[in-house]
Amino acid sequence: MKVSWNWLCELLDIPSGLTPQTVAARLSVSGVAVDAIHPIGKGLHGAIVAEVRGKRPHPKADKLTLVDVFDGHEVTQVVCGAPNVPSPTEPGKSPRVVWARPGATLPSGLTLSPKEVRGILSPGMLCAEDELGLSEDHAGILILQPSDGIAVGDDFAQAAGLPDWVLELDITPNRPDLLGHIGVAREIAALFRHEGVTWKTSAVDVATLRGSQARTEKPVISLEDPSGCPRYFAHRLSGVTVGPSPLFYRLRLQRLGVRALSNVVDATNLALLLYGHPLHAFDFAKLDGHKIVVRRAHAGEKLQTLDGQERELQPSDLLIADASKGVAVAGVMGGQTSEVSYTTTEVLLECAYFAPASIRPTARRLKLHTEASHRFERGTDPNGLAVVADACAALIVKLAGGYLSSEPTDVYPHKIPTHTLTLRPERTWAILGLQIPAQAQKECLEALGLPVRSEGTNLLVEIPTHRPDLTREIDLIEEVARIYGIHNIPTTLPKLAMTASQPLHQGMTRYRNADRARQLCASLGLLEVMQFSMTSPERVRTGEGKSSPTQPLPIDNPLREELSVLRTKLLPGLVELLRQNLAHGLADVRLFEVGEVFLPSGQQLPTEKTHVAAVLYGHRDHFLKPTSSDALDFYDVKGLVEQLVSGLGLSLLWQKPEQPSASSVYVRVATSTEAPMLHPGAAAALLSGSSGEVIGTFGELHPDLRASLDLHGAAFAFELEVPEQPRHKPGYVPASRFPAVSRDLSFFVHSETEAAKLLGTMQQSGEPLLRGVTLLEDYRQAGHVEAGKKALLFSLTYRSDERTLTDDEVQKAHQRVIDHLGRAFPLQLRQ
Amino acid sequence: MNQSDSHAGELARLFDESLSRYQAALAEAKDEPALRVVHARFVGKEGEIRKRLADALKAAPGPEKRAVGQAGNTVLQKAEELFAERLRELHELKRQAELAKKLDVTMPGRPHKLGGLHLLTQVRLELEGIFAELGFQVATGPQVETDFHNFEALAMPKDHPARDMQDTFYLRSAPGQDPLVLRTHTSPVQIRTMLAQKPPVRIISPGKVYRKDDDPTHSPMFQQIEGLCVDEGITMADLKGTLLYFVKRFFGADVGLRLRPSFFPFTEPSAEVDIECIFCKGSGCRTCKGSGYIEILGCGMVDPEVFRHVGYDSERYSGFAFGTGIERMAMLRYGINDLRLFFAGDARFTEQFR
Repeated sequence: MKVSWNWLCELLDIPSGLTPQTVAARLSVSGVAVDAIHPIGKGLHGAIVAEVRGKRPHPKADKLTLVDVFDGHEVTQVVCGAPNVPSPTEPGKSPRVVWARPGATLPSGLTLSPKEVRGILSPGMLCAEDELGLSEDHAGILILQPSDGIAVGDDFAQAAGLPDWVLELDITPNRPDLLGHIGVAREIAALFRHEGVTWKTSAVDVATLRGSQARTEKPVISLEDPSGCPRYFAHRLSGVTVGPSPLFYRLRLQRLGVRALSNVVDATNLALLLYGHPLHAFDFAKLDGHKIVVRRAHAGEKLQTLDGQERELQPSDLLIADASKGVAVAGVMGGQTSEVSYTTTEVLLECAYFAPASIRPTARRLKLHTEASHRFERGTDPNGLAVVADACAALIVKLAGGYLSSEPTDVYPHKIPTHTLTLRPERTWAILGLQIPAQAQKECLEALGLPVRSEGTNLLVEIPTHRPDLTREIDLIEEVARIYGIHNIPTTLPKLAMTASQPLHQGMTRYRNADRARQLCASLGLLEVMQFSMTSPERVRTGEGKSSPTQPLPIDNPLREELSVLRTKLLPGLVELLRQNLAHGLADVRLFEVGEVFLPSGQQLPTEKTHVAAVLYGHRDHFLKPTSSDALDFYDVKGLVEQLVSGLGLSLLWQKPEQPSASSVYVRVATSTEAPMLHPGAAAALLSGSSGEVIGTFGELHPDLRASLDLHGAAFAFELEVPEQPRHKPGYVPASRFPAVSRDLSFFVHSETEAAKLLGTMQQSGEPLLRGVTLLEDYRQAGHVEAGKKALLFSLTYRSDERTLTDDEVQKAHQRVIDHLGRAFPLQLRQ
Repeated sequence: MNQSDSHAGELARLFDESLSRYQAALAEAKDEPALRVVHARFVGKEGEIRKRLADALKAAPGPEKRAVGQAGNTVLQKAEELFAERLRELHELKRQAELAKKLDVTMPGRPHKLGGLHLLTQVRLELEGIFAELGFQVATGPQVETDFHNFEALAMPKDHPARDMQDTFYLRSAPGQDPLVLRTHTSPVQIRTMLAQKPPVRIISPGKVYRKDDDPTHSPMFQQIEGLCVDEGITMADLKGTLLYFVKRFFGADVGLRLRPSFFPFTEPSAEVDIECIFCKGSGCRTCKGSGYIEILGCGMVDPEVFRHVGYDSERYSGFAFGTGIERMAMLRYGINDLRLFFAGDARFTEQFR
């Protein structure tokens, strides 16, 4: 909302010491944020209005014109470069321009002096709007007409109401009363009540608007929907002459962001900007049956609005109609058929109160956010209509002539009363933590124009209908806080009254585990990134595989296709980030993300899980130049997953446990359905030891995907679910005091036999002295190892917690393990 | 010269001869194992010197045995000393050789690269820590929310103009169901928490939120952190004190704040909070647009309407709530001017904040 400082000064007596900046600063800390202050025409001195008496081309320049201007005393030739120099007509009726004579100064700081332009001396210049500090417009010079009411020779700044300041206010949705100059003036009067700001009185005498002509009939209003439109007030004006408004008003509208159209329409807009209440002028002659019907639209009823669009309405839309058709979408926008035009002589001036709930759904559905709908949907003052309508009628008469040709029609079946709220001063203390005396509270509310009386210790506050936001005691407490000044509130800390049994909030285990996963990944040398939760359907397909039944959750109103669904996996986005980072010239990239994924659940809310995922590319940490043995491989990503999993409190088993075991996981080969982004020969799945469900996959990126991303070398990735259960906290086990003994075990076995099966079988051999098995070698060199076989070397550790083992005991235990393994797999022991 | 003298002389000669060969052999030995071999050859159980001594003792008549033994012990002692001396010498040589090593210590080290947490994660953890000092527990909630939790219960009924303040992403929901939205703020966590427990409530809820906006200062996804404190006797002064504590802990002890009354549907009175500009110390600069203040968060006293929705008695309990953007905190702290950098996944950005 833009506010003119000069206009405020027409409403208020503001002591000269209070500058627009001072007032803006106070408004800002009192609930009315001032986003900007723009000077208008500041620094403009000495430019006058002059009449064009003649023009001819500059002899040496096609684009320059020599203009004869008359300042009331004499005619002077000025050189002008604008393309729109008007042609003179007869003296007194000729167009006028703004002439900055030598000695005049412009808002840019330039002081004019006579200057030769292509060989011809020009005493000053004719000005465009930007040069006058009115706007950014430099398309041509500003042209005035005699009808603008500015005499030749007059000082332009004074006539145009300059200088002025425009304050850009950010009005919160609860304060529709501040959407007009009067409301802002009311606020300033309250805030500066101790600094001598007072109201100027100005009342419209309607009687003077009636003129002496014959009386006509009152406008006929048929109010069929008093809930949507509780009050409809209309003036009828006759004998108006529609034309442009005088410059002063056109400029005022312009600087407040409203386009000047014609004197009648401009008058309604000026009244809107003054009172914050929208009005609409109809061409009375074009209203069929000379009547107004306020009703709901018929299904499918069509109306051409002022913006030239055809609108299809529905029965929930409130419509202003005449005897046969709709003429305006009530409170939103007028219709074209009854628009005021230059031929209009009789006007029906609508000043109605529309209920907020009847405006907003229509405005939203039609995507028509207008000055009118903005105010009606926030709430206007039903009891201020007559004042607003009278003032607007007075302005029409002033700008367009004419007179009120009948009594107004005021349909107001059920008067909306003011109401009274009780404020307990001690309640203010309890909310604010500041003991503002009751008398001071009363004074704050009265400063805002709210009548207050005392009843016992309580304050009874009468709420005028222009403050629809004040409906509860707390609303009054806020007003007291604002006007008293919230900087006066002290600072204390809330007393800590937490009970010891305060529960851990829902979802916190997953949240803590997610942070744990972040710390672990960072410790393992990965860099964290964060991506949007929204992604493209294509990326979801990449992550889920073509045959997956998983459907991502679609966003109804996405910003764009690439952000139109919620992600189901992190990895598709991460591989894209990998590509981008490599494109930036990085050689070794290791990124991870911990974030939410979203899956349809069949419940009201979708399932949200937290995943941890990473992509790896390039080499391990290497010294100086990397060698081929520094290149990352599958076992790097596996090693990271192993560390991450154990850091998350999950124990990694070599194979599926015989009994379901919570907080344990195991690995097997992943199918291409489970890991569509991974190389089928280097893809592993991580499974829950309790449910047997796949909770993650890891491996090498699929060559096809790699090719589509234009990656030259192998890339590796993992994506796991962050556990939802609390991290397993193992009890302390003291280290054994007795030494451990190692024995090697070396054998040939079928090359397809999985290491994990052998390790798992040994571990689960039931041998009580066996404490650990480590794979030391996987050897398959042709010539040394038979084709289809591999030679494996394990180291087995034996220990007792009760005694030092003898060689004999160790040997027997070792043999028992070998026998157990040999029963499960055909082994060929090596010597 | 009698016979015994000649025996003794012969023995001494033998010992001397052994010792001199022993000494030469010790000098030949270049490391400890070789040295020990020499030692064993001469002085060990089967060693030459011991053998000669044993032979001499055997040959010596009874009365002379004692003298022979003494002479032998002297020789053995001498042999051990020579061994120990040579061992020390070898150790010293080895040490010297080791110390002769000289590296170019200015060469780059073998890298053990640090990973790193995203700057926003670091800032979030820091904020959680600050509020933990004041007794605020972390609480979280779903990011896909019902219209009820995101709007209705926060005093923003359908078709309320305040909904214009937040451009909302809607999800497709089944007909007749409460519409689903990507939460526009973390405030629904307040509702879920209050619906689940009675006062006292003191929570801080960080998390991702979504608005239909995309430019250098608006991202369709960003993170908020919100606080809620409800109990008997909670005042706006407590709110101010809590915020002041936070501002001084996060931005510095010399940074002050001011509250400006504002409007949020779910708090009343409501305020925007400004801190003194940390770039110009309040004298006015481009970042603060000359005002000397920077807006950092919104806050207020919980609106009675919100309490009504969660079944709290607003006459008995009062409370405050506040919320800010984690990105905004990070941008101010680290002088980052484009919000989109946080979500671009550029390692060169992330690496700077390890």
